[in-house]
Amino acid sequence: MSTEDTPELQEDRFVPSFYEAPYGAVLGSVAAAMSAVGTASIGALMLLIVADVIGRNFLDAPITGVSEIAARAVVAIVFLQVPAAILQLRLTRADFLVRRMQKFSPRLVALLESLFCLAGAIVFALILWASWPKFLSAWQTAEFFGVQGVWTIPTWPFRGITILGCIVAALAALYRARVEIRSIGSTA
Amino acid sequence: MTTLTIGFILIALLIGLVLLGMQIAYALFGVAFLGIWIIRGNIDLSFRMLELTAYSGIADYLFATIPLFVLMGLLVSVSNVGRDTFEVAEELLRRMICGLGVATVAANTIFAAVTGVSIASAAVFTRVAVPEMTRHGYRPAFSAGTVAGSSVLGMLIPPSLLLIIYGVLAEVSIGGMFIAGIIPGLMLALGFVVMLIGITIAFPDFVLNDPDAVRERRLDRDFTPMPFKVLILKLVPIFMLVVLVLGGLYTGFFTPTEAGGIGAFGALIVALSRRSLDRHKLWQVMKQTGVISVSILLLLIAASFYSRMLAIAGLPNAIAGLVTDSGFGPLGFMFFYAMIILLMGMILDSTSILLIMVPIAAPIAQGLGIDLMHFGIVTVLAVEIGLLTPPFGISVFTVHNTLNDPNVSVEQIFGATLPFIAVMLGVLVIVALVPSTVTLFLY
Amino acid sequence: QQSLTVNIGSSHPEANIWVYAMKNTFQPEVNRILAENGNEYQVNWVENYAGTLYKFTDTREAVMDGIVDIGMVGTVWEGANMPLQNVTYFTPFATEDHRMIIEIFDDLSENLPELKNSWAENGMVHLSSLITDSYDIYATFPVKTMADLQNRKLNAPGTSANWLRETGATPVDGALTTYYTNIQTGVTEGTLSFASGILPTRVYEVAPELTRVGIGSMYFGGIAANKDFFDGLPEPVRTAMREAAKATSIAHGDYVAELAARAMDEMQAAGLTVSQLPDEEKAKWVNGLPNIIEPWLEQTGEAGKTVLKAYFAALRERGATPLRNWDEGL
Ligand code: NA
Ligand code: NA
Repeated sequence: MSTEDTPELQEDRFVPSFYEAPYGAVLGSVAAAMSAVGTASIGALMLLIVADVIGRNFLDAPITGVSEIAARAVVAIVFLQVPAAILQLRLTRADFLVRRMQKFSPRLVALLESLFCLAGAIVFALILWASWPKFLSAWQTAEFFGVQGVWTIPTWPFRGITILGCIVAALAALYRARVEIRSIGSTA
Repeated sequence: MTTLTIGFILIALLIGLVLLGMQIAYALFGVAFLGIWIIRGNIDLSFRMLELTAYSGIADYLFATIPLFVLMGLLVSVSNVGRDTFEVAEELLRRMICGLGVATVAANTIFAAVTGVSIASAAVFTRVAVPEMTRHGYRPAFSAGTVAGSSVLGMLIPPSLLLIIYGVLAEVSIGGMFIAGIIPGLMLALGFVVMLIGITIAFPDFVLNDPDAVRERRLDRDFTPMPFKVLILKLVPIFMLVVLVLGGLYTGFFTPTEAGGIGAFGALIVALSRRSLDRHKLWQVMKQTGVISVSILLLLIAASFYSRMLAIAGLPNAIAGLVTDSGFGPLGFMFFYAMIILLMGMILDSTSILLIMVPIAAPIAQGLGIDLMHFGIVTVLAVEIGLLTPPFGISVFTVHNTLNDPNVSVEQIFGATLPFIAVMLGVLVIVALVPSTVTLFLY
Repeated sequence: QQSLTVNIGSSHPEANIWVYAMKNTFQPEVNRILAENGNEYQVNWVENYAGTLYKFTDTREAVMDGIVDIGMVGTVWEGANMPLQNVTYFTPFATEDHRMIIEIFDDLSENLPELKNSWAENGMVHLSSLITDSYDIYATFPVKTMADLQNRKLNAPGTSANWLRETGATPVDGALTTYYTNIQTGVTEGTLSFASGILPTRVYEVAPELTRVGIGSMYFGGIAANKDFFDGLPEPVRTAMREAAKATSIAHGDYVAELAARAMDEMQAAGLTVSQLPDEEKAKWVNGLPNIIEPWLEQTGEAGKTVLKAYFAALRERGATPLRNWDEGL
């Protein structure tokens, strides 16, 4: 086997040391932990589907609720991973213009980048604001999905993951904005 | 100002922000939020639609296909399955004109059936095929161009993330899209082969540094052929994965989601059995899967929000009216649409083009009586050309970055992909004119 | 003349049985009544049918949150938030007469406080009942005996999953829009469903064996208005909507009857094979079911008991004979 890492597997290190950037270090660690849970969920999802396929076709024992659980898990995976993706600058974008401008005016680019990061923080704050009441009511009314008498799963943990994801994502975007703004100052 | 005018302004704003470089998900979310607020005059409604979309916009079994196929593609990439496939193709096509080029296309075609992203193909074959081609007298830039050009097969031959995304956006069966992509994918592969042979005969200098050496090697009878057993052993893993995924899908034995789960698991077993995966590397693969998936899934949530805003603005209906009144006809519309996508493909990445265009265009196409699967393959073909066109051609960039050779410039690779673009345009026109190329296995 | 904008919508397309009467009866009736009553008000309808704004999982929230002012609400998907409305799904084999279900629930939703309040608590006003015709099994295989259901996967949306308990079949959630692909791709081998829903979705193409069981007609949900919106309407408009809702109920019942009859003709012409589950096998099914109403009664408490009693009283009052007395011992 080749020993060098394939480029598509290159790891982005995004958790700075605590001494350099305490705020970033804490945020990065939280994001990394959430992302690890999300990552593990993808593996669990794969195993669940394999178990269902094998159970259904060879053991006459299909697993009830796989498609519903997988559906909710997909949303959970997104909100668990999103803060890390923000800190690793992995959200999809067309940066051809930015890369060109970088040569002529790095300060303008940094300003633009910080504005984009702020926009991101606002977007996640909006989702948080919109989702909070539903999380509370799901918690209070013990809302569930599934079928009474067959299988039910409470929805609040899933709604809670959205809330947690939005909070950390908004903070991550703000942190990125601060990094960009500081870089304006440092290149001045 | 009419709702419609507002709708058009919002789309212009969206494209402006995306071009400036804003994260596409942010732009879609932001524009849609503003749009609903302005059009309905009610910010509460924006919040409520946002909540609904965030919670249930992608809460669907189908969306689980995305992380699963990404995982499968990455696992296949680390397990040297691509290299083995190429070596076998190289061995079998030794006597062919432009044999190594054709081998690259052939290996890419097979590899495409187990990976969902073109970038994976581009990265794998840059490492495998370019050094081999260069060593045997092919121009490095041409070799890199061949890898970049044939990497687009990864997105047309199922499984493919672009086909999944289109299926989601246009609300057509993803399993159906996968089957729809098979014939056009093979047409493309065949077109590449014919083009490579033709161009080698007509313009040997474009292809080769040293035509004589290449001819000599081709006609050389003094070589030790690869033992048959080795050849088979190299092909078994990829063959099994292809049968598992495509066979399962085609027979209806698996849903796309299940094919993804089983395929990823199969790739995991292949990788483990070839000892190309330790615990550290497996975790790396998993993490990359997470990062790649989330960027796509977040986009899909945002796109779902955006297309609901478009529905509130009544935009697809209105444009459909314009198209009908203009007397464009289905075919005229399809070519006009493909042109727009080609232009967008020069500056935007494939996913964004789909996200911006499909929610607007699919309802119109349907209204004009165009089969949505046919429309989807035309869309994906047009979008794929964008992977190769400057100034922003992600497949070319990937090859260039992976190759990391100061003697091969991005511009040279772009130049070398031109014949591939020509073939793709040809296939695009044929597929647009002959719907049965898409629907033959479908209905 | 005063002009009012009303956003009306659904997760399903206009041809769907629950949406058809909204578009083809409710809207024109409101217009007609308002015009006849002096043309003082005029409604400007903004239509958002066919799931352009929300998916079938969100019909309650869409009306409750005012994403549409009037919408089709599938209480069948709202087991957690509107469990009382699902009483029919926990009491299968009650009646196959769908018009009776419409009549009963138009009455109870307005006059039984428990049901009326449940709509109000969810920020809605119930206008008109939506139902299904009787449920049967559409599958890739015929069901001659209960043993044929062993180890099969069938689409059984929401609460109807309970009907398969102790039958050996596995229920898979879904909606009319997902059955075709589910069966085609082998996620399931058939579905519990009803003729008028199966015809437009062409499920019979992939599930050509219909076994008539007569699980019964079900209350599916209602056409409902957002409560704040409705309370804010001028009195004449509210009255017009109430009247139009009555006409809508009748039109809905007629449409379902007509469609079910036509569906049977067309589906058989297209190759659907119809067989009947023998009575003794059906009796095995009915009596073999566990007491599936129990978890529902636990969840809904006193209100549930009242609704169940009122529903079964209304059934018997109208001459129906439920095959199992789910209200026994209350
Ligand atoms: Na592929
Ligand atoms: Na391009």
